[in-house]
Amino acid sequence: MNNKNKTASSKLLNFLGNNAVPIMFIIIIALCIPISGFSSLFLLNEIVTRLSRNAFLILSLLIPIMAGMGLNFGMTLGAMAAEIALILTSDWQIWGIPGIVLAMIMSIPISIVLGLLCGKILNAAKGREMITSYIISFFMNGVYQLVVLYMMGSIIPIVHTTIKLPRGYGVRASVDLTRIRKALDNVLSVNVGGVIIPVLTLLIIALMCLIIVWFRRTKLGQDMRAVGLDMEVARAAGIDVERTRIISIVISTVLAGIGMVIYLQNMGDMATYSSHSQIGMFCIAALLVGGASVDKASIGNVFLGVILFHTMFILAPKAGAVIAGNEVIGEYFRVFVSYGVITIALVMYETKKRRAKAGMGAQLAAAQQEGER
Amino acid sequence: MRKWVFRIGAVALLVAIAACMMVIGRGHTIYFDNKKLEYEGQTCDTYRRINVFVNGEQVAKLSAKDRGMATFMGQKLSFDIEVTKEKGDDPVTYSYTVNVPYKEDGIILNLPGMIAGLPEEAYTSIFVPMVVEEEDAEEEIVIDEFGMSDGAEGEAAEP
Repeated sequence: MNNKNKTASSKLLNFLGNNAVPIMFIIIIALCIPISGFSSLFLLNEIVTRLSRNAFLILSLLIPIMAGMGLNFGMTLGAMAAEIALILTSDWQIWGIPGIVLAMIMSIPISIVLGLLCGKILNAAKGREMITSYIISFFMNGVYQLVVLYMMGSIIPIVHTTIKLPRGYGVRASVDLTRIRKALDNVLSVNVGGVIIPVLTLLIIALMCLIIVWFRRTKLGQDMRAVGLDMEVARAAGIDVERTRIISIVISTVLAGIGMVIYLQNMGDMATYSSHSQIGMFCIAALLVGGASVDKASIGNVFLGVILFHTMFILAPKAGAVIAGNEVIGEYFRVFVSYGVITIALVMYETKKRRAKAGMGAQLAAAQQEGER
Repeated sequence: MRKWVFRIGAVALLVAIAACMMVIGRGHTIYFDNKKLEYEGQTCDTYRRINVFVNGEQVAKLSAKDRGMATFMGQKLSFDIEVTKEKGDDPVTYSYTVNVPYKEDGIILNLPGMIAGLPEEAYTSIFVPMVVEEEDAEEEIVIDEFGMSDGAEGEAAEP
């Protein structure tokens, strides 16, 4: 009886320990909802909008985690590819769904090139993939600025003055995407009790989930999991570890590019020089809030993360205004929470790794002692 | 060999889809004028009222000297116009289909000229947007990733 109780309580502690971040968020949200005074209809509408806007982008993070490369901060490269494609399609005046599809297709080759580059660099920095991909995103941001600020309009033709800077080259700080705004979301959208559901966008996200599930069972997917578990064992088993890792980053970058097009068509406006810079951080924070870790993430984590993280985003300013009389307090709070979550996740990952190592060491020592006897 | 055929096929398919999207998704703006037109000695006067319908939806309601507009994707636009010549007259409906060149963002259609049956070059003209002199010649682009800019160029940073 006593043993049973102990097992149950250790199971509960284990569960709480493994799901500390989502539980913390659920508690904060539960407290903030009545304080904010938002109606459930408003909240539901906002959550559905943000789910359709962000889920695809966050799904792009799953494959590198599967391959043991951690959280891909380099997804920003895919976002940059998407932005370049959207600038060009806007200048060519390709509107609606065709504009979105064309931007997605055009982002693919750029994403592949950037993904290859990122993958090669990450292979040279094994064990430090996250910080390396983070710095690569800064480096590529400089290249992006060079292309968009100096090459567009001078080397790459840009015709419309609404896109081009008055000096004759470079792209304006904001690109109007009104012509593709919600073009995807409005197709097959249905109104269920006042909640507008963008069915086509959600179907695309569902299809992506199915593709990820299928991909995990393919030979390449199995190889990635093997590489993620232990690179040396995978290499000994005949898997080309470096190639597998590069492919995972390329796939992630391409998916991030497509996800960014979905994200920006929902926004209807693009901040040319800053849209991509925070996207990686927020997607990673959302995934971690959903209960994922640096070495383990599932589709469920994506959806739970989007819902919890973005509900916080909606509630925090209003709750801040009610509690402290200032919306900015709420803004500070949500920024603090999003970066804090990433920090906690990284610390927890390192602690777990160290504990596992220590546990293995203890087991080895015990085995040696028994051998000596 | 099979792998390369598959890869080339996939690239060709994507290129083909992209080409299709460029054709069917090309957006244009059509401007409808209810303005007096003179062409080779022939004068086409304005109408009291012209209602323009695209796909059954009213996109413009033009009095004399008015201009309306409609946006569409593709290179061909079919529309109906409901014309009232004078006050108290019964409206007459006409249907037209116009082809818009791929490279043009917008064209102007002079409806009185169109109704009068003038040749296409008489009632069609290319829309040239007015160039607005921007007061601020240089738009401020903030690319300071690390927030280390000290404001004015050359100015010493605050400690």
